[in-house]
Amino acid sequence: MKRILTVLLLSIGISSFAQTTINPDTVCANAVGEQYFVTNTPTSTYQWVVTGGGGTLQTGQGTNSITVDWGGIIGLYPNAIEVIESNAAGCLGAPVLLDVFVLDLSGNPIGPFCEGDPTTPLVGSPVGGSWSGTGVVANSFQPSTGVGNYVLTYTMAGCTTTINVVVNNGPVTGPIQHF
Amino acid sequence: MKRLLTILLLMFSLTSYSQCISNQSYTLTPPGPYSPGQVITVNYTLGTFTGVNVNWIHAFQINLGVGWTNLTPTNTPSNIGGSVGNWLWDLQHTYPSGFNFGPGWRFVNTGTAGWGTSATGPFIISFQATVSQTCTADNLSISIEVFDDCTTGGWSNGNCCTDPAYNIYNGVVQVPLIITSNINHY
Repeated sequence: MKRILTVLLLSIGISSFAQTTINPDTVCANAVGEQYFVTNTPTSTYQWVVTGGGGTLQTGQGTNSITVDWGGIIGLYPNAIEVIESNAAGCLGAPVLLDVFVLDLSGNPIGPFCEGDPTTPLVGSPVGGSWSGTGVVANSFQPSTGVGNYVLTYTMAGCTTTINVVVNNGPVTGPIQHF
Repeated sequence: MKRLLTILLLMFSLTSYSQCISNQSYTLTPPGPYSPGQVITVNYTLGTFTGVNVNWIHAFQINLGVGWTNLTPTNTPSNIGGSVGNWLWDLQHTYPSGFNFGPGWRFVNTGTAGWGTSATGPFIISFQATVSQTCTADNLSISIEVFDDCTTGGWSNGNCCTDPAYNIYNGVVQVPLIITSNINHY
């Protein structure tokens, strides 16, 4: 019984400490209210600095948790976020840094299509994401889905962008007449 | 010749060490190591002072490392059977001879200025000190030095006592490590 309890407690402990951010962190261009944090020591204060990526610190300076609004210029920004902990005696800890990659997705427009048109590959930038939406199979669009307007979504690292695709009616040819 | 030199050196070393003070002891509460903000209490007892050349005990000096602050006296030494006068707590005092003293207790002889007291002990002193709020491992040494009126300059009748400082504590401030976790993004 004790062993089971120990395993359960260990599992809870692990799951509550499991959230870690891989360096570099990825954010979407123009994202707002992105929250960053370090484990809190109640008697400590925290000095945050946000540089690069058009980032601006919005809330939380002095605490263990801040929110940041990011700019729209894609790129990797080394040491974009820095925090220095200060304990109750005013002693400073070592700076902790995080690189940030600002990601701006785009999708190549396609169409308009006619119902009978062949399957067309969907291209997103940067490559590596995935497409979803009606008529999308294996990152390609199938006009045979039918006539209509479709919103297709390109997703990567939590960021998204969309394109609109139109499938029109094909020409309706009447029966062959014999004069 | 060598044997004679050895005996002479031995005699010299014996006479230059712990001439006048004996039976020293102390308690230190709580025991170290110490962190910033901690308050400690020192009780020091000098069992017997036996001056050479009619030198009398004159002062107890407390030597503290730079990591201590807020030194506070809590028990003044007694003067049982001693000269007329009293023990005075002083942070700093320069004797007419130029001898610089402090902090600690010094005897003010109201009968003959400049003399110590003829009391021979026991003497019990107590004081408190606080570990400074610091970010560095500052020195926390504590020792007591006992001076006679020959050393301070109030009496001159041959050699003075040359007892070494009595060591009570050696250590440094235990500065807590600040370990900040990695930055996480919700």
